[in-house]
Amino acid sequence: MNSSMNCENFHSQLESWLEGERTSAAESHLRSCHSCQAIVQDLDAIHSAAQDWSREEVPAPSTRVWNSLKAQLESEGLIRAHGSAPAEESSSWFDRLLPSFARPAMAGAYLVALMAGGLLLSSPGSQQMADQRWMEGTRNTTSPVRTELDAAETSVASYQPSDPVVMASLHKNLGIVDNYIALCEKSMQEEPGNETVRDYLYTAYQQKADLLAEMTDHGDEGR
Amino acid sequence: MSTDSTVLSYWSWKKLSTLAPGLLLFGTSAVWAHHVEKHLRVDPHPVITIHNPNGTVTVKAWTKSEVLVMADHNSMNIEVAVVQNGNRVDILTQPIANSVAPDEMRADMQVNVPEDAELQIHDDSGAVTVNNVLGDMNVETVGADVGLEDAAGYLSVKTVGGSFQCTRCAGRIEVSSISGNFKLLDVRSYHIVAQTSTGNILFDGQFLPNGTYHLKNYSGTIEVRFSPGDSFDMNATSLKGKVNNEAKLIPANRPQSSSPRFGNTLFGTLNEGRARVDLTSFDGTINILKRSN
Repeated sequence: MNSSMNCENFHSQLESWLEGERTSAAESHLRSCHSCQAIVQDLDAIHSAAQDWSREEVPAPSTRVWNSLKAQLESEGLIRAHGSAPAEESSSWFDRLLPSFARPAMAGAYLVALMAGGLLLSSPGSQQMADQRWMEGTRNTTSPVRTELDAAETSVASYQPSDPVVMASLHKNLGIVDNYIALCEKSMQEEPGNETVRDYLYTAYQQKADLLAEMTDHGDEGR
Repeated sequence: MSTDSTVLSYWSWKKLSTLAPGLLLFGTSAVWAHHVEKHLRVDPHPVITIHNPNGTVTVKAWTKSEVLVMADHNSMNIEVAVVQNGNRVDILTQPIANSVAPDEMRADMQVNVPEDAELQIHDDSGAVTVNNVLGDMNVETVGADVGLEDAAGYLSVKTVGGSFQCTRCAGRIEVSSISGNFKLLDVRSYHIVAQTSTGNILFDGQFLPNGTYHLKNYSGTIEVRFSPGDSFDMNATSLKGKVNNEAKLIPANRPQSSSPRFGNTLFGTLNEGRARVDLTSFDGTINILKRSN
């Protein structure tokens, strides 16, 4: 690894690098750093794949989706915001990464961008930063869900059950799922980047939603 | 509101005295106050929906092009309605009084259907048994156990706490539960997705070429039995628990980056690796065991 530039510095210049603005320090670092070479190779491969996809006919997402994606990547620090210029007029690295994209091919671009984000998050040099982002991402995803589920649970508690035995069984299983959510959240704290834990957590929330819907049905029947 | 004494009012003491020897003979078998029996002619591929909040539902295939519904219940405040609409037959246990106690909603039913019938069954508590039906089926329960034998088609089963057992089933099986245990015995399915949170999963069936088998739980045990001639790619991961393996798997040639960084993981191929088997547990134990016979 080059002494004058570390991986984190290189990552911060990645956008410029992809736009063709390459400092000698960055070139020197890249020559000696296998990790950053792998990232650049991966992005080049994505670029090639994107060009292939651009030749295929796929439905175009709206400008809103496109702008939303850019905003998300900017908010996560993966790309820099370009002042107040409209997103569709800017020519950031992101646009240049996909130079030959016709609008109909942007559904593929959406996927490509997510892949690029994932690659940047998975680079070893930024593990701590990536963990923080995974935590924030998971929290941002689950917070609204949790709020909705808490509200639903409060409503369900006030229902008169149509069948107390069935409702008792549903409550028992709700307890199991709540416990399971708590354990998954604890594991997420310990291993923020663990996709399997995140998958278990999302599954648990889905199960809780299903259970509350079932409890609502049984409560409704009794009212 | 109906009570047991109301039900008994349907019986004269004379009839009771006539039945008494029979009651003694059959011991604990249920005596029902109301019996429903209906025959309905249907075309090929009929759709049968059954909604029974509480009780046993037994569905059996037969060779006739008709549906036979036999249902029994005790309460005069409920009815088992059987309605035919074209090639669809709806069987529904429902209240006919303003106020019905939960335990009055119990009905036990046996339904005979053509073997190509499609079934949609909802039974909160009790038990659901289906034999020899080859059409698609969707079964949903809260606490009722579900048992399928010699079924085929697209089988979708969802329980909250009920167990699931599938014996000699084929086709496509998707089953989910929170605390139910699953047993998949002698199955010949090319696609199985089984997911339970705290239940155990046992798979003792065939791994068909190009088949996919995804078994997942949170805690509990996942047990898969194999024969030396089976052919599959195995991916078994328990994040916090153990993976015990008796298969002589050839280590998979995978790039390092695609291997998970967490938990106890086993990748490998048995013979040509024709089927794909994914076993995932959070803190349960995964056992991959050689079939004993």
